[in-house]
Amino acid sequence: MINLFLHAALLTTTPILLAAIGGFVNRMGGLVNLGLESMMLAGALVGVEVSAATGSALLATFAAAAVGAIVALLMSLVVTRLRANEIIVGLGFTVAVAGLVRFILKSAYGASGTYNPPGVVMLPRLDVPPLESVPVLGALSGLDPLTWLAWALVPAVAFAIARTRWGLRLRATGAAEATVRSVGLQPLAIRDGSTVFAGALSGLAGAHLSIGIVGLFNEGITGGRGFIALAAFYFGRTSAARTAFGALLFGVFDAAQIRLQGRGVPSEIVQTLPYVIVIVVLTGLGFADRRAMRGRFF
Amino acid sequence: MSGEAGIGVRLGARDVTRRFGAVVANDRVSLSVAPGTIHAVVGGNGAGKSTLMRIMQGLDAPDAGTVILDDRSVRLSGPADAFARGVGMVHQEFTLAPPLSLIENLILGNEPVCAGDLIDWGKAEAEANRAAALAGVRIDWRLKAADAPIHVRQILEILRLLFRGADVLILDEPTAVLAPKQIEDLLKLMRRLKAEGRTIVFISHKLEEVMSIADAITVMRSGRVVATTTPARTSLSELARAMVGEAVETPRVEPQPRSANTPLFSARGLVGADAMGFERLGPVDLEVFPGEIVGVAGVGGNGQDELVACSAGLAAPVAGQIVVGGRDLTEASTASFRAAGVGYASPDRADEGLCLAASIRDNFVAGREREPKFSRFGVMRRSPIDAAASRALDLFSVRFDALADPAASLSGGNQQRLVLARELERDSRFLVAAQPTRGVDIAGTAFIHRMIAAFRDRGGAVLLVSESLDEILALSDRIVCLYNGKIVGEMPRGEASVGVLGQLMLGQRAA
Amino acid sequence: MTSGLSSPQLGRAAAAAAPFALALAIGALVLAATGHEPATVYRLMLEEAFGGERRIAATLTEATPLLLTGLAAAIAFRAGVFNVGAEGCFYLGGIVAAIAGYALPSWPGVALIPLALLSASLIGGAWLVAPGLLRAKLGVDEVVTTLMLNFIAIDLTSWLVDGPLLARGSANSATPQIVAAAELPRLLPPTTLNLGFVISLALVIAYGGWSRFSAGGFESRLVGLNPRFSRAVGIELPRVVLRAMIASGVVGGLAGGIHTLGLVHRFVAGFSPGYGFTGIAIALLARNSAVGVAVAAVLFGALSSAGANIQLFSDVPIEIVEILQGAVMIFAVAQLGFGRARLRAAT
Repeated sequence: MINLFLHAALLTTTPILLAAIGGFVNRMGGLVNLGLESMMLAGALVGVEVSAATGSALLATFAAAAVGAIVALLMSLVVTRLRANEIIVGLGFTVAVAGLVRFILKSAYGASGTYNPPGVVMLPRLDVPPLESVPVLGALSGLDPLTWLAWALVPAVAFAIARTRWGLRLRATGAAEATVRSVGLQPLAIRDGSTVFAGALSGLAGAHLSIGIVGLFNEGITGGRGFIALAAFYFGRTSAARTAFGALLFGVFDAAQIRLQGRGVPSEIVQTLPYVIVIVVLTGLGFADRRAMRGRFF
Repeated sequence: MSGEAGIGVRLGARDVTRRFGAVVANDRVSLSVAPGTIHAVVGGNGAGKSTLMRIMQGLDAPDAGTVILDDRSVRLSGPADAFARGVGMVHQEFTLAPPLSLIENLILGNEPVCAGDLIDWGKAEAEANRAAALAGVRIDWRLKAADAPIHVRQILEILRLLFRGADVLILDEPTAVLAPKQIEDLLKLMRRLKAEGRTIVFISHKLEEVMSIADAITVMRSGRVVATTTPARTSLSELARAMVGEAVETPRVEPQPRSANTPLFSARGLVGADAMGFERLGPVDLEVFPGEIVGVAGVGGNGQDELVACSAGLAAPVAGQIVVGGRDLTEASTASFRAAGVGYASPDRADEGLCLAASIRDNFVAGREREPKFSRFGVMRRSPIDAAASRALDLFSVRFDALADPAASLSGGNQQRLVLARELERDSRFLVAAQPTRGVDIAGTAFIHRMIAAFRDRGGAVLLVSESLDEILALSDRIVCLYNGKIVGEMPRGEASVGVLGQLMLGQRAA
Repeated sequence: MTSGLSSPQLGRAAAAAAPFALALAIGALVLAATGHEPATVYRLMLEEAFGGERRIAATLTEATPLLLTGLAAAIAFRAGVFNVGAEGCFYLGGIVAAIAGYALPSWPGVALIPLALLSASLIGGAWLVAPGLLRAKLGVDEVVTTLMLNFIAIDLTSWLVDGPLLARGSANSATPQIVAAAELPRLLPPTTLNLGFVISLALVIAYGGWSRFSAGGFESRLVGLNPRFSRAVGIELPRVVLRAMIASGVVGGLAGGIHTLGLVHRFVAGFSPGYGFTGIAIALLARNSAVGVAVAAVLFGALSSAGANIQLFSDVPIEIVEILQGAVMIFAVAQLGFGRARLRAAT
């Protein structure tokens, strides 16, 4: 019983987690990405299309990551080279890409709202027979590769950020652009790179939604998860683990509210949880910052 | 690396000229730094030292003249280019990334790696410790830059240059933020580096240090080189005189006895901190009486900014008390200060004294829009505002086309007059004037001085903070000297002179 | 401001037109790439938006909510407050007005309408007090807080309209219809243009007057242009910031209320197709000026209305409108070399 729930929770968490890690890395590099939703949406559409066209879920995954990366690059360049406000640009991309996706759906596929091509190959499920009857751990059986990837990325990203060259440069770019320039590096390029990474992961998140769970594309398939991922990485601040925890928390609540629907727990209220948490965290930080202002050297 | 026989000038400038609008920051400046020496560049604020250093480091390009490297004229395409040729600079504003640790800041961009991209921390620490040993310091490498004390951060900046292979180090006012013991350590480090064959260009206004460590000294003033010498061939007082200039060109305003016996402005035990929380001022006691101009002399960075901020009500003091017109305003808001009759002529005319994007009229009435004669029921009344503005601008000889023109369209001198017109035409009783004639020509300066004197004659109190001794001596009734955040001398104008003030300003003798 | 077209004014007009022009270019690309002819489509849209009385009325109806969401954004942006939460206020205002509209069937319209609109405004203002305080007192970034509040408001009203306020016998999530007395009268039957348009336009005009002539508008503008200067001359920053935020919320709430009373006559899920976000684009394009907001709102209204109609005559999906809106937002904040960058030189 618990296994079923955990299993569902893990699956629900995956897209949020993927996008959240991407957003986390992006923010470390100095850009708050409000366009994750758009990259996810693009990835979802492309994932379905390529999967149906080629019969390969693997190719579809790559394609989804690629399109997410492309959208991200465009967005990043507008912010870094045209020095545009990243918030408005992120929102603008969200609106524009949502429109573009629905536009393409109608124009190219004649579909309105839902696009369900034949021959969609879903992501494979990896069964782990020995675990299946084990309580709790049994939930790990039958997950798709992207879910495993998402969780593997958490320690990998944390490690890379702390212990590799590019992780150091990324952190420096987000903290002090002038410093990075003064040692002869290109902070804007590094920042763009982090956005592309976020876009690729968000594209994967979209693919998970379309070819990992439902097998088709629907214009509302992302359902604001890009912003929930934002909530997760705002919650996680400078820690990949905390970001993942936030994503899991929101995923669990999401899975829970689906189950509890009709049992008196208002699902929409539960859905507000991530956003409320962000506000609480920001408020707490605001108070802490004010107290810490005295006696700080910087 | 350096010090090869045959190279006369490792780093230098030949006839470098650089203009910013009407201001000539560098006027045919020439400088030669021999390899393996410590060369000091000395001058007050506005002398052009920073501009010159930026040009020599590739951050800026001269309008005329050229940078010299290894006896050859070069054109630097940027700081990376300069660095490739071995020239690195430690700026006054440190460029460390606050959340990164000290060792991470050290190796950034030149990380020793093993197995691809992984940082080899063992190697990094070994090299870092070697650099630290050279400097004669022990550094806790794991400390975050934000938590490290200032002198450690500065040493790190130097170490980073060495780590990256610079052999020419330009240090911009390195001892400005250091305590005496730390200054000694820094000087020792510089000597050690020189012994290694490195070349150091050292910008400072602290003449004692300069005399004790430099091999050669260049003095700049008002964008020109006014002296090139060595410690053996000069003296502290000669340097001071060269730095601060000679004859006073500004016509003096007659000093006046104060018109009342209770101070209008009184600061007791005032302690002020900068934006980072670093205490730069105090404790200081200061009084300004009605009908009096008190001039605060001092080189920039000795607590003037904090004194100005606290006196004008822009920043809350860390400790102490401020009383204006009998009212304790220590915890009060800026608006309360203004309401109590405090006026403020900001040293940062473009960003704080004026809103350049707004119209002249707007800049004049800003802060007064709710006065009864300027608005009724919240609606601003154009005619009274225009009338008052026109009258004030006329009184202050501000040359403008239309009140609706943006303040940015005014020349620098006229902008400053606009600021003063606004501050003095309110019901001001106490004016805090910081660098009131910065960037203003001689005629404009004389005019502004006359206006400030007129304000004083009407019974106003003035706190004049200026880096120009000329100005202090021309305007003040009473002069105090600020050094390292403390008042080191106080005298009526009659007893002051360039020589006396110059030495006090540079920390050379007790009053 | 000097009368007649002067160089800075031309520069400003060019700066405002550029993002729109660029967006049209992007739209043209999209159209061309999907087999449509941009020129034909745009001409068709122009006709659909402004060709004839009925069509103009439709355009103005579409513009009605945008006038106020654009105004809400402009009021905040003018003071340097980046409020992106107008969408949430719109939803809340809409549902509160709906409640007033159906829960008081015995009230006469002349009392009911003002009550409903007032409540809508108040809830909108109250909703933004928290982010306003956070920004004014703690310096907490208002973009993220208001953005989050949007989603909270949308989810909250979703729940309300799905459960407690669900109209009996209604298949989709909607409140009961408001009583006839609560409906804003139509201006040009049988078109849906209603009094809401007049109210909204009047408010935009009032904002124009306030910004140009009042002390509050003056202070707000200075704070937005240069907060450091404003503080030095004694303007109380926290107060101005808080007021801007709350006023922005009030207008956003009112916009929702008018939408309910004037057009939709109930509150439904999916109440707003992003009017709040479009309002942001409008304010950005208009550089916070009243005239600009009015013009941009009508333009976007034209886009919407035309888009909806051409869907019937051609196979161009209405989403071209969204693409254009998003593109305008993006280009409106990109430094395209007009205006802003120049001022940097005067240091």
